[in-house]
Amino acid sequence: MWLSILGLILGISLGLLTDIQIPPEYANYLSIAVLASLDTLFGGIRAHLQQVYDDKVFVSGFFFNIILAAGLAFLGVHLGVDLYLAAIFAFGVRLFQNIAVIRRIILAKWAEKSK
Amino acid sequence: MKRKIFSRFSIILFVIGLMTAIQYNTINEPDDRDTRDVWEIRQELSREKQLHSELLSEVGLLDATLSKYEEISSESPEQALKDTVEELRGLAGLTEMTATGIEMTIEPSAEAVAFGEEIDYIAPDLLIRLVNEINRNNGLYVSVDGNRIVNTTAIRDINGLTTVNAIPIQTPPFKIKIASNSMEDTEKLYNHLLSSRILDDFYIDNLSVEISAPQEHVTIEPYAKELNYRHLQIAEEE
Repeated sequence: MWLSILGLILGISLGLLTDIQIPPEYANYLSIAVLASLDTLFGGIRAHLQQVYDDKVFVSGFFFNIILAAGLAFLGVHLGVDLYLAAIFAFGVRLFQNIAVIRRIILAKWAEKSK
Repeated sequence: MKRKIFSRFSIILFVIGLMTAIQYNTINEPDDRDTRDVWEIRQELSREKQLHSELLSEVGLLDATLSKYEEISSESPEQALKDTVEELRGLAGLTEMTATGIEMTIEPSAEAVAFGEEIDYIAPDLLIRLVNEINRNNGLYVSVDGNRIVNTTAIRDINGLTTVNAIPIQTPPFKIKIASNSMEDTEKLYNHLLSSRILDDFYIDNLSVEISAPQEHVTIEPYAKELNYRHLQIAEEE
C-alpha cells in the first residue's frame, strides 16, 4: 500500500520538478488520459477488494482506456463533434460507481470487524 | 501475489502522478503578459506601417520594371537590359547624379583663424560620423571633396592624411555635396543637419560648417575608381 503511495508521490514530484509542459492544444488529450487512468485505477482497486483482480486485465485496461479516450477525442476534434464528452461521461460514471462499490466493501469490512 | 499487485499499482500510480503533474504545469503556465502601454503599441504599429509602405513602394518599383521589360522586350531586349544596367550603375555610384540636394562647406572657424591656430586635416572619425548622420537622414548620394561615397568607401587615416576611397582630401575648406530623391527629403535633411549636434563636434575641432539652402540641382561626381569585386561571389541559384 505504501509502495503505491510512494509511486504516486514520486510521479507527481518528478512531474512538478522537471517542469515538463505539453503544448496547450494537447492539454485536452492529457486530461482525458488522466481521467481514463483514474478510472482504471479505481476499477483495479475494486477488483482487488472483490478478489477478482487480474494483472493482465488491469495493465491492458490502463493503456487501452487511455488510447481509446485520446483517440475518441482526436476523432471528435476532426469531425467537429465533441466526442471527448462521451469519454468523460463514461469514465465519470464508472468512476463514481467504482468508488461507491469500494465504499460499500470497506464499510462492510469495517462493520464485520467492529462486531 | 499481493506484492506483485502493489508493484503494478505503484507503476500505474506513478504514471498517473506524472500525467497529473504535467497537466498541472500546462494549465498553470502563466501567460506572457503584454505590458506595453498604448504609446509603445502605437510606435510598434507605426514601425510596421512604415515597413508596409516601404514594401509597397518596392513592389510598385519592381512592377514598373517588369512592365517596362514586357513592353520593350518584344522590340529590343538589349535596350531594356542596358537601361537596367545603367540604373544599377547609378545606384552603385558609378554615374554622375544630378538631383535636389544641399552643399556643405567645411572651413576653419573664424575664431581659429583669428588666433592663428593651425588647421590640419579633418579627423576621419568626425567625417565618418557626419556621413553616418547624413545617411541616416535621407541623404542618398554623397560626395566629399569630389570623392563619391559608395558602399565600399573607407574613410580613414593613411600616413596622417584623411582619405576617402584612399584619396586624400584637402585641408579645409572643402565641400560636401549631398543629394536626395525629393525636395521634401532634402528639406528634412537640411533641417536635421541644422539642428544636429554634430556641428558642435566640428567646432571643437576648430572647424565650422556652412550648409547651403536646399537647391534644385546638385551634381554629385561619380566614383572615380574601379569597384573592387574581390569578395563578391555569384549567388548560387536555389
